[in-house]
Amino acid sequence: MSWGGPPQQQYGGYGAPPPQQGPGAPPSYSQAPPPNRGQIYGQPPPQQQYGQPPPQQQYGQPPPQGYQPQGYQQPPASYGQPGGYQQGAYGGGAPPQGGGYGPPGGYGAPAPPPGVSQELWNWFQAVDQDRSGKITAIELRQALMNGNSTPFNEETCRLMVGMFDKSKDFGDKIDIHEFAALWKYVQDWKGCFERFDTDRSGNIDAQELGNAFRTFGYNLSPQFSDSVIRVFDRRGMRTINFDDFIQACVMLKTLTDKFRVKDTQQRGVINIGYEEFLEMVLDNTIMAVK
Amino acid sequence: MAYYGQQQQPPAGYYNQPGAQPSQNDPNFLWGVFQRVDKDKSGQISANELSGALSNGKWIDKDRSGSISGNELQQALSNGTWTPFNPETVRLMIGMFDRDRSGTISFQEFQQLWKFVTDWQNCFRTYDRDNSGTIDKNELKTALTGFGYRLSDRFFDILLVKFDRQGRGTIAFDDFVQCCVVMQTLTSAFRAYDTDQDGVIQIGYEQFLTLVFNLKS
Repeated sequence: MSWGGPPQQQYGGYGAPPPQQGPGAPPSYSQAPPPNRGQIYGQPPPQQQYGQPPPQQQYGQPPPQGYQPQGYQQPPASYGQPGGYQQGAYGGGAPPQGGGYGPPGGYGAPAPPPGVSQELWNWFQAVDQDRSGKITAIELRQALMNGNSTPFNEETCRLMVGMFDKSKDFGDKIDIHEFAALWKYVQDWKGCFERFDTDRSGNIDAQELGNAFRTFGYNLSPQFSDSVIRVFDRRGMRTINFDDFIQACVMLKTLTDKFRVKDTQQRGVINIGYEEFLEMVLDNTIMAVK
Repeated sequence: MAYYGQQQQPPAGYYNQPGAQPSQNDPNFLWGVFQRVDKDKSGQISANELSGALSNGKWIDKDRSGSISGNELQQALSNGTWTPFNPETVRLMIGMFDRDRSGTISFQEFQQLWKFVTDWQNCFRTYDRDNSGTIDKNELKTALTGFGYRLSDRFFDILLVKFDRQGRGTIAFDDFVQCCVVMQTLTSAFRAYDTDQDGVIQIGYEQFLTLVFNLKS
């Protein structure tokens, strides 16, 4: 096959239905893979529901729902559906469970809305500087850190706020419930990121990224991982940070889905007209991130 | 003619066109502008500083000094809608003019950026036939057709939805710039594959991904 890379036997039957839940949540990689059926470009294992968290969770940041038994075997469903922003999983009704373990006292702030932990509520209020009850991507930046203590880049914040903002009025903003879902989403990605950061460097190099893509079920060449690293490498270290890792994975998923739709023959190659092409990629331009 | 036409370059400032407003290309004038945008006096303009300058009124009121009036600047550097300048456009422009990849804009880089903005503004005004400060679908169509793009009516609807950040059914200046730069970038990426110029390309999965991940304005 022209795009290189030996077929991964264990993942992603091409004919499996694509996940419906929308752009990228951390794929689950702990599940038994489905039998392979001549997959062309790999895909995330079909049974993984978007928004299903990877096994490891909650690093560093204040856990939204206090201590809970962790561990690899925790059934995915117990996390709710962090990425399930299209399913109304959190929309005011089903924010993270609990809320019982916030920091004591609550800093004199008003009590959190039902179902939202005190801790998360405190974060939200600290970030919502204009007290509008909603936060923008710029405000969100202050709540999210990479492992090396740099704030998240703006593009990733915008990407995620866009994903979680359900009220489609002008300007993407998220309320506390959307923020809770987004927070969980980031925590899930964080577990995933750390899982693949095998040398514990706090960032990911081309080989680690290639492992991640392969584990998610994508069949891509090492050159591709290299090129992704080059695009997102902000410090000339041939590595990428956590925020860019999220961005790259979400883009990869979105573009793969779009490609797959056009690739009706499942050949891994498409013929595509100018306007169709524009339409496919118009929403995925991250031009000049450097 | 090819399906996307022979594009005349839109009046992008980095293509050596004479500026429409000669006084604004005077280095002294620009140095004054630069210093006002460079709020922390670091000698470099960051994305934040540029956003601040491009978003109306945020900084003009502070220490009015030098030879430029706030009005002139506001007129020159704003999207005309009293809303924050499109951050994507700011990022695009920094990406285009930050030649040394420092993440910030030096005075030298700023001169080109300024020209880019003012040239686009003149272009925008040309197509804003009704002087509304924004352009509607028909005006957008006239503009892009004028640049040489051949696009269906339906596609203009898609563009409008995508770039209309205010939700008003029209496109403001900053969004217009973003739209044009994105179109230019995507079209040249497509064209690079379309060797026989028939408007259809064959592209493999990984090629496709690589193309999109590597788009640069």
